[in-house]
Amino acid sequence: MKLSDLEGDMHTPSEFLDRPVSQELILELLNHAVWAPNDELREPWRFIFADNRYGDIMQGLQEQAPAYLLVLMKEEADQHKREEDFAAVCCLIQNFRFLAHEQGLGVRCTLHDWMYDPSRTEMFGVLSNERIAAVLELGYGASQPKENTELPEDELHVELL
Amino acid sequence: MSLAELIRARRSIRKYNSTPVDQELVVKLLRKASRLQPFAETGSWRVVYAGTPEARKRLVDCMLEQMSQSRFVKLIPGKLLDIFKKRFTDIPAHVIVMSTVGPDRLTNDRNYAAACGMMQSFQLIGWEHGLGMLWDTESMMLHEGFFKGIGLHEDERFVGILHIGYYDKAPKSRKRTPAEQKWTVLRGQST
Repeated sequence: MKLSDLEGDMHTPSEFLDRPVSQELILELLNHAVWAPNDELREPWRFIFADNRYGDIMQGLQEQAPAYLLVLMKEEADQHKREEDFAAVCCLIQNFRFLAHEQGLGVRCTLHDWMYDPSRTEMFGVLSNERIAAVLELGYGASQPKENTELPEDELHVELL
Repeated sequence: MSLAELIRARRSIRKYNSTPVDQELVVKLLRKASRLQPFAETGSWRVVYAGTPEARKRLVDCMLEQMSQSRFVKLIPGKLLDIFKKRFTDIPAHVIVMSTVGPDRLTNDRNYAAACGMMQSFQLIGWEHGLGMLWDTESMMLHEGFFKGIGLHEDERFVGILHIGYYDKAPKSRKRTPAEQKWTVLRGQST
């Protein structure tokens, strides 16, 4: 698959099938995704894979999904470094979305208010010097992504300096 | 090349050759990158392009404006500063991205994250077209004069600047830590 040939936004299923997501696959994709640009090679990320086979692991916090990937980032004391690290983690997530798409795996990348609340995040093993950058809801969609039937009108306007 | 190969092959490029970068190509690739984000995220960012010699010079001037007043930079001989300036002005193109500031932290983080995702897509698509980039995060350039020079609005946050050009040689890769070493598994309870 060539990225340049990928048209429209990636498939983000609104509902997932009751089909498990393999840990091994996620690890394999992550080992490609970690080739994201990151300043000074700090690799500021860490991952918690939450298997939702009993359907209760993130109840009340996230939409139902067969599995979740909590993408954590280390919180540097320096604000500028924190921004750089957040950007690096976002690049990693973007890589992961492409890789999952290639495998037919759906990804919903979510950011919610509860992720800022340490009393909630520590339940999942998030350390005091870390925060959740995003939670990825993972699963297979009911139907294959449609080929781009109707793309929304392009809004991007590039201004010249 | 599979997407995995593309992601692993991409490098940050700091040294560009003199091949000019076509503005229309950059705009086309930026549009592609934008469309790869979920539709709900459109409007989270704004892009400014500097590709003409005049625009590039203006950009370097506003970047260095404050820097040249710093004590550290004052110690640098003028000639050296000129070399540095020229090297910077020679970079064929720059893409500047800003995200929209919202009423709360969550909106800000979402918009910032969306802009970063778009920039990574753009870097990867660019790589497929032979373009090398550097996502510059040098903190010395982050000052009022620079923000004013790039036209940052009050309700915007500077996300990053990508220097762009064709390159002769890509640097060697630096090893990454295997994901297995940064990995924990949680299971729910079957109660």
